[in-house]
Amino acid sequence: MNNIVSKILIVANLVFSLCFMCFAGAVFTFQAGWRDKANKTQTQLASANDAVKQLQGDKDLLTTNFTKNLEDQKARANNFEAKVNGLDQNLKQAIGNLANAEKERDKHLVDLQVAQKEAQARITETNIARDEIKRLRDQNNEAITVRRGLEDKSLGLEGEIAEAETREVQFLKEITHLNDLLRFNKIDPRDPIIGPVPKIIELVKGEVVESRKNASRSAEHVQISVGSDDGVFKNLKMTVYRDSNFLATIQITDVYPDKAVGLVIEETRNGTIERGDNVTTKF
Amino acid sequence: MSQQSSDPTIYDGLMFVSLGAVIVGIVFLILALDGYGWSAG
Repeated sequence: MNNIVSKILIVANLVFSLCFMCFAGAVFTFQAGWRDKANKTQTQLASANDAVKQLQGDKDLLTTNFTKNLEDQKARANNFEAKVNGLDQNLKQAIGNLANAEKERDKHLVDLQVAQKEAQARITETNIARDEIKRLRDQNNEAITVRRGLEDKSLGLEGEIAEAETREVQFLKEITHLNDLLRFNKIDPRDPIIGPVPKIIELVKGEVVESRKNASRSAEHVQISVGSDDGVFKNLKMTVYRDSNFLATIQITDVYPDKAVGLVIEETRNGTIERGDNVTTKF
Repeated sequence: MSQQSSDPTIYDGLMFVSLGAVIVGIVFLILALDGYGWSAG
């Protein structure tokens, strides 16, 4: 029995010894690869740790930067908020100013409309005044024309007055001469004149305008181009002639300022009286 | 004391083989531990 157990133990010892040898050989065989793998893993782990540290540093740096940026952004946000608040207040103030400005604008618009109406009224008044000025200017021009005419007339009248004064002096001389002549002929100038005094016949020259005989052809009337303005008077005898030929003698029957009518009282056979023949008081 | 002589059997050989295997295994482990520099950590 002990022998069998010893044998079994010996075999088991052998089996386990072989297994131990195999496992030790396997460990010796694969330990280099395991070590390399471990070293590689260690290296990777170190690299990973370095990377982790780098990333941690980057993370810390980024965190710091982000924190700083966050603070800056917060500060900027606060500034912008303050600015926005200021702008909001400015906007409110501007809105208030705008409302005031609109009120001012409306007021000015009303004033402008009033001013426009007033200006329109002024324009109308100006136009009326302009028309009045034009009318007054025309009146002034007319008055100037009238004044010039009156001045011309005044000058003419002054000339006539001077001429009249000259004639007056001449007449006074003639009167003195006539008085002397009357006294020389022993005639008192203060004696009354008895009977009609023949008018002074002045030299008047005109033309025959028309000659017409009556129905019975017993009388012939002649219209001449001179009248009372030229010194022609009623019953004045005038001579009708053509060139140097005596034609007839007429006696004025009707006198007008610019014409006269005479009756033929003496007629010759030198020709008939026609339009355009000459007529005079002293042939 | 009587000396009982016996012939070596196969089991004696197996014992020596087992001893050799254990020695070889120990050598392998020593070499392996030498590869790690005798450091456990």
